[in-house]
Amino acid sequence: MLLLEQLPVNYAPVAFQFFVAVGFVVVTMLATHLIGPKRKTSDKLTPFESGVEVQGNARHPMSVKYFLVAILFVLFDVEVIFMYPWAVNFRELGILGMLEMFTFMIFLLLGFIYIIKKGALNWE
Amino acid sequence: MTPTEKLATELMLKFGDSVLTQQQTADEVATFWVAKTHILPVLAYLKKESPEPFPLLYDLFALDERSRSDHKTYPSKDFTVVYHLLSFKRNQFIRLKIALKGEYPSAQTLTHLWPSASWYEREVYDMFGIRFEGHPHLQRILMPLTWQGHPLRKEHPARATEMGPFKLWDEKVDTEQDALQFKPEQWGLQRHSDDADFMFLNIGPQHPGTHGVLRIILQLDGEDIIDAVPDIGFHHRGAEKMGERQSWHTYIPYTDRIDYLGGVMNNLAYLLAVEKLAGIEVPDRVKVIRVMMCEFFRIASHLVWYGTFAQDLGQLSPVFYMFTDREKIFDIVEAITGGRMHPNWFRIGGVAQDLPNGWDKMVAEFIAYFPKRLKEYHNMVMRNSIFKARTVGIGIYTLEEAIEWGVTGPGLRACGLEWDMRKKQPYSGYENFEFDIPIAQNGDCYDRAVVREQEMIQSLRIIEQCLKHMPEGPYKSDNSHATPPLKKNTMQDIETLINHFLNVSWGPVIPKGEAMSCIEATKGWNSYYMVSDGNTSPYRSRIRTPSFPHMQMLPYISKGYTVADLLSILGSMDYVLADIDR
Amino acid sequence: MSETLNYWLVIVGILFVLLNIAAFLIWVERRMLALWQDRLGPNRAGPFGLLIILADTLKLFFKEDWIPPFADRHVFVIAPAVIVISVLLSFAIIPFAPAIQIVDLNIGLLFFLGMSSLGVYSIVLGGWASNNKYSLLGALRGASQMISYEVFMGLSLMGVVMLSGSFSLRTIVEAQKDYWFVLLQPVGFVIFFIAGIAETHRLPFDIPEAESELVAGFHSEYSGMKFGMFFIGEYLGITLISSITVALFFGGWLGPAFLPPLAWFAIKTAGFILFFILLRASLPRPRYDQLMEYGWKILLPLTLLNLLVTGGIILFLNQP
Repeated sequence: MLLLEQLPVNYAPVAFQFFVAVGFVVVTMLATHLIGPKRKTSDKLTPFESGVEVQGNARHPMSVKYFLVAILFVLFDVEVIFMYPWAVNFRELGILGMLEMFTFMIFLLLGFIYIIKKGALNWE
Repeated sequence: MTPTEKLATELMLKFGDSVLTQQQTADEVATFWVAKTHILPVLAYLKKESPEPFPLLYDLFALDERSRSDHKTYPSKDFTVVYHLLSFKRNQFIRLKIALKGEYPSAQTLTHLWPSASWYEREVYDMFGIRFEGHPHLQRILMPLTWQGHPLRKEHPARATEMGPFKLWDEKVDTEQDALQFKPEQWGLQRHSDDADFMFLNIGPQHPGTHGVLRIILQLDGEDIIDAVPDIGFHHRGAEKMGERQSWHTYIPYTDRIDYLGGVMNNLAYLLAVEKLAGIEVPDRVKVIRVMMCEFFRIASHLVWYGTFAQDLGQLSPVFYMFTDREKIFDIVEAITGGRMHPNWFRIGGVAQDLPNGWDKMVAEFIAYFPKRLKEYHNMVMRNSIFKARTVGIGIYTLEEAIEWGVTGPGLRACGLEWDMRKKQPYSGYENFEFDIPIAQNGDCYDRAVVREQEMIQSLRIIEQCLKHMPEGPYKSDNSHATPPLKKNTMQDIETLINHFLNVSWGPVIPKGEAMSCIEATKGWNSYYMVSDGNTSPYRSRIRTPSFPHMQMLPYISKGYTVADLLSILGSMDYVLADIDR
Repeated sequence: MSETLNYWLVIVGILFVLLNIAAFLIWVERRMLALWQDRLGPNRAGPFGLLIILADTLKLFFKEDWIPPFADRHVFVIAPAVIVISVLLSFAIIPFAPAIQIVDLNIGLLFFLGMSSLGVYSIVLGGWASNNKYSLLGALRGASQMISYEVFMGLSLMGVVMLSGSFSLRTIVEAQKDYWFVLLQPVGFVIFFIAGIAETHRLPFDIPEAESELVAGFHSEYSGMKFGMFFIGEYLGITLISSITVALFFGGWLGPAFLPPLAWFAIKTAGFILFFILLRASLPRPRYDQLMEYGWKILLPLTLLNLLVTGGIILFLNQP
């Protein structure tokens, strides 16, 4: 309980909720682990691949075509986060804040148009 | 001059008597024996140089001639390889045969002329042990790689009881699994690209997307298909071999199960060939009844395709509605034939019974009911934008490619060729019906769907005409070869009495000869090539099914697409495994 | 101490109800799908087949708890837990009624976005740990799907935040006293709901699972209760997205007084849950690059535009 008391009051229920959720998951999984049957057959020892013995391993270096999109995603996600505080405070920030955000978005959109022109999103 | 004579003159002028010998057959397809050494030039001429060329390799198969009772006929041979070509310009088939001598003979491959010859030659090798020199990958195709012997050779046992009890012990499981292992090098596939490993993924035999026991090995770069290798034969039941030990009559139910969604349409293809051999002309009523039943099965088959296609793309509901409608068709089929999916209802020279009382009411109800439903499905599936996104521009092939690979039926018409066997080479009285041939232009998955959807409307039109103009008359020919012959005639002429007696004691005896049928089946053109040596069962029954070449084309049209697109392509192809493997 | 006890009671109570709803939804979905597909659905066990819920749960409990030897044991077990825990945590900030809410965080919406992003780990980890090729492809698709909708998911909610001036869900609900935000933010609503469907991996966006393509995708190798966790996670996810949508755009518990607030909330949420099921009954599945393209090229610019227009209009109206 010590840990809980150190948290800001607001978050104590979240921690409670977390414990309850974890508790539910652990208890359920443990229960089924204990009461479920245990039978070993050779067919269970291989991964499913449409009824044919698996060739090679699923874990091997393979190409992920949307890798570039994933990197762009990280960039955009970070940039987009700047809009959250603006959105919640934008009445106070007023026209000036609006214009600033407008400029920011134009930069964002310019970058966006650039990557579309570059064809970074066409990974087919 | 008949087309056959014209063709014979053209070929004789070009190649001369020493190369070609004409043969008469019961089906009036121009048939030539070609000297084994000259087959390639003749085929190349017919495909490329002839003023009216034969661009489609329709079928390629072999016969084991060694125990044929009339094998003394020209030329002397142990095996025959038969080539069927089709000319669109002439609207004519040609049949070329080469005679092979020896226990395990060999012939030259056609694969550089027609890529579609590859699977056919593999099948001939698999079934007869005939080798094709220069074939890039001569390997068994329908039988397991571990199989001993070549099944369609006459010395190979035809019944399980002749082979000793089947046991699957552990070592055998291991050998079979080993044989199933895919070795990319054998197929000339790379294991790695410059910067990543390729994934080799089995789609099937146990996979929800393959609609049956089909195995496709994919070479994947991420999710992009670099190459695909279909592995067929899991559904092989030896239908052609069974034909050689069934009587002409008792073989009919086996044909039902070739394209198992086509029902009696398979009966028709088989019977057209047999009736040509026996020289039976069926009464008009039989023709119209047969047409009506076939068109019902065409709609039923297309409905299954429609629903499962949508389901392959993730749309869960249409398949339920469509199966409900299919049930309505089966209700009619059941009322008329007593059976549902495999009614086994057509007979040599007729059908099993006359139409029952009240059939017209049921059919009329369906005709009134169905168009509204089709419209609903059109809005639900064909106009759905996600459905379009998944099918438009996917799995494209051009008309030239389609012909090169032996694509027939709706797949061919989706490339813009208005070619329907019901119109071009009418059989069973289709020339008397009014209907349109739906076509589309782009040859992609969506267009194949458009063609099939429109075909259902046309089929309904045909059924409506059957209903309105059903002729009166007998439901069986009074030809003495009809099976069984009309009882009342047995007391009048001796031929019918003899045939009736033979029928009951052995089964019908069909006159010597060979004949091929070709019908516009649900999935493309279906042919039975029947050879009789005057016995109670066929000497050879060759079944040419449309799905076989369609599946062969799969690697060609799926390269460069993704795994998700593969499902669109498979779905739009409309195949059934029983039709591929026989 | 009694306050702490109270917390526990409320939390356990809400959790209990939620889990029951998730289980109940199995039956609802199967019956509704059956209704729309001209079938009967489960109707044998108990009245209206309701006991199928009990039967299904018991079945899952008595299945073998199997961890394939070729899998990564720890990750394999953790993956299904992640989705259930993260979704359950998200429920902490949902105001079911004025008096029923676990906690009213002043950053409630951010908390929800954070938790829902965690859900995708469940798919990626599960697919990777299974060491099965279909699962791996499913996991890759899951990751691709996440990067297609996450960017605009949060952004689509900013219109609501601007209108109410707060991240707290309770404040947002209360700000809808006069009119629901769906009237002011129709574009934001549609975009958020599309992202929400993608978030829950329901048809038409069940791309990582894609039965007809990848067998069952990321959970091909799962069985028993671990599979059950994915299952519950999916239904909890539906409930969560429906509740959030109701709270943000449809006035939450607000409604005419003849029904209690909780009933209004439940009715609205149920409507959206049914809509989820209806979508599954009617739409095919796009390809994952199509979803990505749709998200990036259409929905992202649209969201930004929506934000600008909303901001402009509010400032214009608020001018002194």
